[in-house]
Amino acid sequence: MKKTKSAKALISEYFIFVIFIALVIVLTCLKPSFIQPSNLVNILKQASINGILAFGMMFVIIAGGFDMSVGSTVAFAGILAAMLGQGQYPLIVPLVIAMLAGLAVGVVNGVGVAVGDLPPFIMTLGTMTAVRGLALLTSNGKPITGISQEYRAVAANSIAGIPMLAIFLVIVILICSFVLAKTVYGRRVYACGGNLQAARVSGINTTLIRISTFAIAGLLAGLSGFLMTSRVTIGQPTAAESYEMDAITACVVGGVSMSGGVGKPWGVVIGCLLITVIANGLDIMGVSSHWQKIVKGAIIVLAVLIDVKGKSKKN
Amino acid sequence: MEYILEMKDISKTFPGVKALDHVQLQIRPGEVHALMGENGAGKSTLMKILMGIYTKDEGGEILFNGQPYKISNPKEAMDHGVAMIHQELNPILDMTVYENIFVGRELRKHGLVDNKAEIEEAQRLIEECGLHVSPKERLRNLTVAQCQLIEIIKAISINAKVIIMDEPTAAITEREVELLFGHIRRLKEKGVAIIYISHRMDEIFTICDRVSVYRDGQYIGSGDTKDLDEAQLIKMMVGREITDVFPKLDAQIGEKIFEAKDIVRADNKVKGVSFCVRKGEILGIGGLVGAGRSELVEGIFGMHELSGGEIFVKGKKVNVHSPHDIIKEGVALITEDRKVTGLNLSGSVNDNIAMVAIQKLVTNGLYNKNKARSASMEYIKKLNIKTPSGDQIVGNLSGGNQQKVVIAKWLLNDPDIIILDEPTRGIDVGAKRDIYLLLGSLVQQGKAVIMISSEIPELMGVCDRIMVMCEGKLSGEVTRDEFSQERIMTLASAIEV
Repeated sequence: MKKTKSAKALISEYFIFVIFIALVIVLTCLKPSFIQPSNLVNILKQASINGILAFGMMFVIIAGGFDMSVGSTVAFAGILAAMLGQGQYPLIVPLVIAMLAGLAVGVVNGVGVAVGDLPPFIMTLGTMTAVRGLALLTSNGKPITGISQEYRAVAANSIAGIPMLAIFLVIVILICSFVLAKTVYGRRVYACGGNLQAARVSGINTTLIRISTFAIAGLLAGLSGFLMTSRVTIGQPTAAESYEMDAITACVVGGVSMSGGVGKPWGVVIGCLLITVIANGLDIMGVSSHWQKIVKGAIIVLAVLIDVKGKSKKN
Repeated sequence: MEYILEMKDISKTFPGVKALDHVQLQIRPGEVHALMGENGAGKSTLMKILMGIYTKDEGGEILFNGQPYKISNPKEAMDHGVAMIHQELNPILDMTVYENIFVGRELRKHGLVDNKAEIEEAQRLIEECGLHVSPKERLRNLTVAQCQLIEIIKAISINAKVIIMDEPTAAITEREVELLFGHIRRLKEKGVAIIYISHRMDEIFTICDRVSVYRDGQYIGSGDTKDLDEAQLIKMMVGREITDVFPKLDAQIGEKIFEAKDIVRADNKVKGVSFCVRKGEILGIGGLVGAGRSELVEGIFGMHELSGGEIFVKGKKVNVHSPHDIIKEGVALITEDRKVTGLNLSGSVNDNIAMVAIQKLVTNGLYNKNKARSASMEYIKKLNIKTPSGDQIVGNLSGGNQQKVVIAKWLLNDPDIIILDEPTRGIDVGAKRDIYLLLGSLVQQGKAVIMISSEIPELMGVCDRIMVMCEGKLSGEVTRDEFSQERIMTLASAIEV
């Protein structure tokens, strides 16, 4: 009884991983160029900014929240980084300022949700709009050009063939996974999302935990903004539109439950790689970007459908 | 030092309401102390102050171990050694047993969670409690009673000196209650004081040493349970005498009106159950939690798929694929969990009462609010629903009144067969009595009532016949002249005997 159950659970738990491997095999067969190192490096680059955002989003969703504002925050932080990254300061300055700006947006979100008791959707919808305005205001509505060579090099360079962007992603993955799996804080994030009331009466400062998850999402959005400006070499106030949706998609596809309390970091890694690989695969097969959107939409719904069906069976 | 805990002169004001008015409570070490009173008497508020969930008004004091007890959140209460097992159990379903036990005070090693130590310690505590679950099991896979034991283990593991149990038996069966009482007695021997909140009289006299009674935010009095009897306690709680707890009205039992034959549920939680009910009859369904009673009626009502069986209403065979199919034949089901499947909690009393029979409230194809309002008013009066108006949001009403709203919404549809699943759970003596009287008057009108209850005295008090279920099957049937607690208990646990 015990054994058969765990075998079934194993399959449902690693379902997304199986799908991912299958997809890679299929794409390799269809287009051998898919598996070439240059394309794999490309996939890593494409996955990294969304991956970093998805990891911030993961904290928020596991704690029972939701963050619509990260796309705007990326753009705003990117503008700030572009303005400060013209060579006039050491590179650490735009990095720190971008991350602090993201952190500030996150804290505002967190306070609104945890202290002001606003639904996360409404609170972050508000900041999403306002921060986009802030990005337009700061840049005067125009792209910021002229970032330094040194700054461009951050995204363009590689170490031992691995792009710097991917190294940033790996560092974020390692730190976040460690925090969630091993620390008391991580355990409490799960507890808050699993049952907020229970967490509160168990003596957990749920207000602080919830604020902190939004703060982490903001901080990582700030980092993403810094990296994005380096990658596209300009600061665009209209950049990163709907990036929050890609981050949410990665989480949901990776098995993070929208009702909170459930989700594993490795799932989000796979979720993020899966959607990047699909986009990349469709790209190299010459499928139009219009179709890509339709496919992406279908994947979100399918992933959640599988998640919901799996759960109802358990009950 | 005579008392481990003393609360003196405590008041609590909410905007517009004085929830507690200079009340007191004294707890001795190692005693089980009952808090009694009707809903809204202030018991829960008092306990929430003790746990640091609410802050008391200025004035009054709390002494713990003779020392002033000043706290501002549940964590500080637990640090003092006060723990609470909440009425609406709050397990984190997606977390494991050991994670739930240590939530909020995780064991650490080098600043990180020490899973190994937590699992070992949890294992030890679980064994001590005589529970057979793995510490790594998720709470989602446990029964309500097991979840409750986990809560008790949690309280023991913080070395609590005072454990508050708010309606601990509301969701568990009599046999599990016995187990719980065993744990309570063991805690007593260790000198732990238990504050026990319950609406069930028999429990108070079985397990409690002393009792304090509250009414409308006022302290009424305390006493040793051995010096008190049920009638005296009820009088203290209600402020007037209630002579018969289970009123039974005479009704004429007529022809068969509903029959279920060989019901099998697709998920195999009900394995071939047949029964019938006659006009004017109250049929009780007894059994332990998990015996398949709710599953049976929910299956019949089209909430879950059936893989076999036939249903006859007033002699006509009904094919049930969804609740709609059977509602239109005149069957009503008042479900077990009113908050989940009974009410639109953010809707008004009027909205809720109009939910089922909305077709009756339509004029010229449009919903007629005035019709709804007057229909709702009629039932507010008939069922004695205590609400300022029909526009009141249902979520703001007390449990007993919410339950009456659920019943009203079905009665408006004028059903002939009314099925009620645990209709009196968690509601006070007065409201319970109202519901028994209502059931009596329904059968007097020639309707049939089927009632599921885990409280055997209640079933014996109001039913004409009781069928008992065990592990998804019918294990026996008892008629009113043969009713006995032992008989029903034996049938309920038939398969294991």
